[in-house]
Amino acid sequence: MGERLAAVRQRVAPSGRAQTAALIGGVAALALVIVGGTLFPETILGVLLSTLVREPTAESALRLAVPITLAALGGIFAEKSGVINIGLEGLLIISAFVAVWMTDVTGNLLVGFAFGVVASTLLTLLFAVVCIEFRADQIIAGLAIWLIALGLAPFMSQVIYGGPNTESVGTVPTLTKLFGFLPPAGTLPQRLVAPTIGVGPIDALSGVLASVLTRPPLYLADVLLDASLSVYLMGLMVLLSWLVLYRTRFGRWVRASGENPKALDTAGVSVSRVRYQAVLLSGVLAGMGGSALALSIGQFTGNGPTMVNGKGFIAIVTYLFGNYNPVGAFLSSLLFAGLDAMQVGLQTAGTGIPSSLVRVIPFVMVIIVLALVGRTRIPGAAGEHYESGEDR
Amino acid sequence: MTLRDRIERGLARLVAASTAERFAISLAALFASILVGTVLILAAGRITGCSTATFVLTHPTPFGLSRLFEVGFCYNPVTVYDRLFLGALGDPLSSGWDPFGRQMALTLRETTVLLFAGLGVAVAFRAGIFNIGAQGQLVVGSLASVLAVLQVAPLVGGVLGTAVSLSVGLAAGALAGGLYAAIPGVLKSYVDANEVITTIMLNFIATGVVGYLVLNHVKDPESFATQTRTIPDHANVPTILFEPTANFSVLALGVGVLLVGGVYYLLAHTAFGYDLRTSGLQPEAAEYGGVNSKRTIVASFGLSGALAGIGGAVYALMILGKFQTGVPSYGFDGITVSILAGNNPLGVGFAAFLFGVLKSGAGVVNFATDVPPQLVDTLRGLIILFVAMPEFFRLLGGRMKGVTRRVNRDESGGETDG
Repeated sequence: MGERLAAVRQRVAPSGRAQTAALIGGVAALALVIVGGTLFPETILGVLLSTLVREPTAESALRLAVPITLAALGGIFAEKSGVINIGLEGLLIISAFVAVWMTDVTGNLLVGFAFGVVASTLLTLLFAVVCIEFRADQIIAGLAIWLIALGLAPFMSQVIYGGPNTESVGTVPTLTKLFGFLPPAGTLPQRLVAPTIGVGPIDALSGVLASVLTRPPLYLADVLLDASLSVYLMGLMVLLSWLVLYRTRFGRWVRASGENPKALDTAGVSVSRVRYQAVLLSGVLAGMGGSALALSIGQFTGNGPTMVNGKGFIAIVTYLFGNYNPVGAFLSSLLFAGLDAMQVGLQTAGTGIPSSLVRVIPFVMVIIVLALVGRTRIPGAAGEHYESGEDR
Repeated sequence: MTLRDRIERGLARLVAASTAERFAISLAALFASILVGTVLILAAGRITGCSTATFVLTHPTPFGLSRLFEVGFCYNPVTVYDRLFLGALGDPLSSGWDPFGRQMALTLRETTVLLFAGLGVAVAFRAGIFNIGAQGQLVVGSLASVLAVLQVAPLVGGVLGTAVSLSVGLAAGALAGGLYAAIPGVLKSYVDANEVITTIMLNFIATGVVGYLVLNHVKDPESFATQTRTIPDHANVPTILFEPTANFSVLALGVGVLLVGGVYYLLAHTAFGYDLRTSGLQPEAAEYGGVNSKRTIVASFGLSGALAGIGGAVYALMILGKFQTGVPSYGFDGITVSILAGNNPLGVGFAAFLFGVLKSGAGVVNFATDVPPQLVDTLRGLIILFVAMPEFFRLLGGRMKGVTRRVNRDESGGETDG
C-alpha cells in the first residue's frame, strides 16, 4: 500500500481554478446571507445573519477553533517532513483525557495541561518509531494510533472514574479573570459616541462615522476579552509555527525532508532525525489542542467517538485546504469552527431544522471543500519511507 | 509473453511467498498485543483501588530466604484472558461443554457480522483503497434493510414470506451500502478527493442522517428508544441448532462463508478481480495494461460497501429484529479483521472468528471481572499497530536466527503493503 500512497504524490500543482471557485462560492453565500438577512429579518436568512454577528458565536468559533488549529499545525509539521500523521484524532483524545485526569490529581490546571501534552507526545513517539524505524505503512499506523487512544482513554476513565466520563475540573481562565485590571467582557460600550457640535447634518454624519469606525474594534476587544488563554496560545502557536517553518534552518530541513529527502541526506543532515523531530512536534502541538479542548469544558466525555468527535480529521482537511500554511490552516479551522458555532447558535435560535441534521453540516462541508481542492500538492516524498544510503 | 501474463505471474509469486510470512506476522502481532494488554491490565490494576488484590506478583522463597518484593494488583490478567478466550467459547475445556451453547452462539453471531464487514474492507484494501467508511456503509445498509423488510414482509406470509423478505432485506442492505460507498468512490476517481478523509466524514454523516430519519420519519411511536418498528416474526432469520434467544442463525453464517469463497474466486479468478488487484499493487502498470482505473475504483468501492451493507442487514435483521441507533463499531472492527487477515478473503474467515471471540469475550470479562470492557477496543488498536510493522518482527526474527539486519532489509525490499 506504500506504493498507493506514493501515487497520491503525483498530483499536479494546486488548481487555482478550484480554489477560486470555492472562494467565490463562499463570498456569494455570505453576501446572500447579509443582504437577505438585512432585508428580510423574519426569514431563515435573518436568523442566520443575527446568529453570525452575535458575539457568543464569534467567541465559540474561536474556542472551537483551538483544538482543530493546534492539531492542524501539528499535522503540517509531520506531513511537511514526509510522515502523514493521520492519528491526530487519537492524539487529541489521549491528551484530552490525561489533561483532565492530571488536573484532577494535582489540582493544578497548568500541570494537567502539561501532562496532556506529554501523553500525546509519548503516543506520537510510538507512532514515529513504528513509521520511521520499522517502516510501517503510515496510514495504517495512524489509524492504529487513533483506535488505541479511542479504546485507551475510555478504558482509563472507567478504571479511575468508574464510567466513560471523568469528573469535572476547573477550566482555562479568560484574560480578564487572570488580570483583574482589565475590564470584564460585556462591560465595553457597544460604540463610542461622537461629540455633537450643534450642526444637524454634520452631527448625524459624524455619529454614523463614529459608529462604523468604533464598532468593529470594540466588538473584537469584547470577544478577545472573553476568550480563554487557550485562544491566545493558539494565536501564538500559529505565529511560531509559521516562523519556524519558513524562517529557520530547522524549517528548511523539515520541508526538504518531505520534498526531497535525498538532497537533505546528501547535504549531511539525517533525514530520520528531522522526521523524528517534526513528528514529535506534531504530538506536542496536537497535545496542546487536546488539553485545551478538555480544559475548556473541564471534563472528558468518552462515549462513542468521545468529545473529540472527528476534530482531528477535520484538522487534516483544514491544513490541506490551507495549503500547509499555518496561517491558512488557522483561517480554514476558523471557518469550520464558525460553522460549528453557527449550528449551536441555530439550535438555540430554534429554526425548526432538526439538530441531528444541523450537526452533520461541518462534515458535509469537509467533503465539499475536499472535492473542490482535491488536487492539492502534497509534499513530494510524503508517505514514503526514506532509506539512507549509509548503513546505520 | 504479454505484459498481462507477466504481471499475473509476478503477482502469483509474490502472494505465495508472502502468505506464510503474513500468517506468522499476524500471529506474532496477536501475541505482542496480548503482551502489551497484560502490562496495561496490571498498570490499570495498580491505579484503581480494591480491598483485596486478585493477582500478586512475587517470587518463590526457598530455604527461608527473605521476600524481596510482593506487588498486588486489582485485576488478574490470567483471569481476563481466560474469560476472554475460553469464556467466549463457552468453556470448551470444562466437562459439560456444549458447542451449541448460548455463549458460542453469541461468538458466532459477532463472527458473522464481522465476516461481512471484514470482507468489504478487504476488497477495498486489495484495490488499494482505504475504505475507512465501512461503519457508515453498514449503518446505512442496516436501516435500508429493515425499512425494506417492514414494507415487504406483510405482503407475503409463511415460509415463502421468510425467504422473500430476507432476500429483499439483504438486497436492500447491499444496495444501500454499495451506493453509499460509491460516493467516496466517485469523489476519489473524478475529483481526486482523499478517500480516507471522505469515508471518515461519511461515517459521521451516516450516523447523523440515519438518526434524523429514524427519529423524525420511521420511529416506532410506541417506543422511547430511537428505533424503528420490529419486523414481523415470520421475517426473522430462522434459528437452527442454536438457542433461539441468542439471535444467531447458522444460515447467516453460511451465507457469510459462501461469500468468503465467492469473493476469493472473484479476486483470484476473474477479469474484474485481476483489474482490482493490479490497480491496487501497480496502478500505473494496470492503467498501461488497459484497466480503466476510474471505473475500477468506483466498482471496488461499490462492492466493498455492498458487503458492509449486507453485514448491516444481518446485524439488524438477525440480532435486533429492528433498527436502533447506536450501531456497534463493526465497521472499524472490520478494518482490523481485514488488516489482520492480510486482506486475504480466506484469512478474513479466521480473523473474523478471532474478533468474534474478542467481542463476545468482552462481555464475559465484564461479567466476571471489574476490568473495563474497553480493553478489547485498545487491543484492537494494538493489533493493527503491530500488524502494520512487519519490519519489527522481521528484525526480531532476524536477530534470533543470527542473520544480520542488513541482509534482512535487502530481502524484504520496499514491500510494506498492508
